[in-house]
Amino acid sequence: MQKRKIIRRILDNITEKLLTISGAVTGIAILFITFFLFTEGAALFQSPQVEHGYALYVNSSNPVNNLQPEETKAIFDAEITNWNTLGGKNSEIKIFRIDDAFQIYPESELGENYELLPAKLGEIISKEENILAFLPTQYAPQGAAVKALAGKNIQPKEYFLGKEWLPTATPVPLFGVLPLVLGTLLVSIVALLIALPLGLGVAIYLSEMASDKQRRLLKPVIELLAGIPSVVYGFFGLVVLVPIVQKTLNLPVGETAFTGSLLLAIMALPTIISVAEDALRNTPRTMREASLALGATQWQTIYRVVIPYAKSGISAAVVLGIGRAIGETMAVMMVTGNAAVMPHSLMESVRTIPATIAAELGEAPAGGAHYQALFLLGCILFVFTMIISISAEIISKKKNYKTH
Amino acid sequence: MIEAKNINFYYGDFHALKNISIAIKPNTVTAFIGPSGCGKSTFLRLFNRMNDLIENTRLNGECLIEGKNIYDKSVDIDALRKRVGMVFQKPNPFPKSIFENVAYGLRVNDMGNKQFIQQRVEESLKGAALWDEVKDKLHKSAYELSGGQQQRLCIARALAVAPSVILMDEPASALDPISTSKIEELIHELKQQYTIVIVTHNMQQAARVSDNTGFFMHGELVEYSDTKKMFLNPDKESTQNYITGRFG
Repeated sequence: MQKRKIIRRILDNITEKLLTISGAVTGIAILFITFFLFTEGAALFQSPQVEHGYALYVNSSNPVNNLQPEETKAIFDAEITNWNTLGGKNSEIKIFRIDDAFQIYPESELGENYELLPAKLGEIISKEENILAFLPTQYAPQGAAVKALAGKNIQPKEYFLGKEWLPTATPVPLFGVLPLVLGTLLVSIVALLIALPLGLGVAIYLSEMASDKQRRLLKPVIELLAGIPSVVYGFFGLVVLVPIVQKTLNLPVGETAFTGSLLLAIMALPTIISVAEDALRNTPRTMREASLALGATQWQTIYRVVIPYAKSGISAAVVLGIGRAIGETMAVMMVTGNAAVMPHSLMESVRTIPATIAAELGEAPAGGAHYQALFLLGCILFVFTMIISISAEIISKKKNYKTH
Repeated sequence: MIEAKNINFYYGDFHALKNISIAIKPNTVTAFIGPSGCGKSTFLRLFNRMNDLIENTRLNGECLIEGKNIYDKSVDIDALRKRVGMVFQKPNPFPKSIFENVAYGLRVNDMGNKQFIQQRVEESLKGAALWDEVKDKLHKSAYELSGGQQQRLCIARALAVAPSVILMDEPASALDPISTSKIEELIHELKQQYTIVIVTHNMQQAARVSDNTGFFMHGELVEYSDTKKMFLNPDKESTQNYITGRFG
């Protein structure tokens, strides 16, 4: 007898320790992920604006000392062609790339390992007063009349308020996340505007009005829908929703923000319905009876007693719905058209944050500015969902007279 | 005033109430006693049509309140429930403030303006002998009250819509002795204005509070008479056995 007691006590002890450890491990894992995400993301602001390993050089007589990323892009896109636009002399900008050097000098003159290249490049820059050379820092031009443009690091303002997302542009990639953030918000908010009234309506119907038979039939079907992989939803969206949206709204393309919202709404519905219905059904029968016994109608009972009682459960449904909408990647990527431009209307292609990360992370060199910019996008997404869950928490606590 | 004629009630195939007839006078307290599952609560819930909420049930017979059959098709159920208030076994205040709990019936029935509601809430809380305990915290959660106070709040909530009948389904069974005696005192006072029908497991309680008592067993009303007579000199042997504690 005594022995068994001791063994049981030891077992209890071990179980307790195991539970503590699993709790601690989970906590540490979450902290670690968050820490990793934010350190990788924050490193972006230590990256130079100009593509890694390259720099811009001008003739030292040129009064221009630095260029904004947008200006650089405009020059290389041939939108700015004269130095005077940038505060320089009135002369045409002559762009020079490393390839051009090989046109001027045959490879034999540059040495076996291009060791003569820097000097030659220096010569070229010294001769041309209106040159803008984009060269690898490995072969930094040497010469008295060469001036390197001051390279700044990527600024938070450029990142968070930038309106252009061109992460692979040379010589200066543009990491403006505004179109992605707005695209995400637009698609998610519209999806919720569609899904919430519908979902809560169905939940109320299921819990308050449907007969047992209807409920037994509908509930498992709805819960089954929650388990369908999002890629499959994406197929459905691409093959069914996209043509429907295109035809009924008479649009040039059916892959729009609205299509994404529609698909997301369909995807979020099962979760919203199922969680909200559970919450509504958890309202004790005595609570409904008390209301009805006072002469309240069924509707008055639903919106004055049942819904307030189920408030925290309903807000959980909303949060889960938003979470699904904001974080959903695959399906949205398949139907929104993925154009990383500022959204002007619902009927245009947009691109969301998760879709951007999924599409580009594989192509971004690890540790590069592009890679870090994507991590920072992840941080933005993380902050979004955090704000949502905190506000839902506040809403469900506010004026809630429940003690349990 | 309340009259049930040949009531038969079925839960699916189960014959829960068998041919029950009863007449209840106004401004009296009538207690229903009997072992668990005897049908006394089911019978009580007929008077405000609470059994309508349960699926797959069936009723035969007539139930008259103030001369009108409440199961007639023309009857407005919500209006009926306003006239026939109910207090439940477990205190079940709404997740609202004390004030809003009492005001609830007035609000859903669109009774009166703000001032009237305020006045009516105060009257009802006084009527339920709760006013002095809660007057300083009317806007606190009803869940901050003790179990006994919550039950009195539920009584106040029922009083607020000015019913003529109050049904009580084992109102003190979840309460401690002190709270129970407060509820019993309250029932005595409420008798002046309301007709009260109470279901109870506690025979001493039935003896203390009621004027008339009905004894139920296996879905039948075995005996119905003056409480004193019932407890001192019952007609039926099974009543005698139940009262003296030989079963149940």
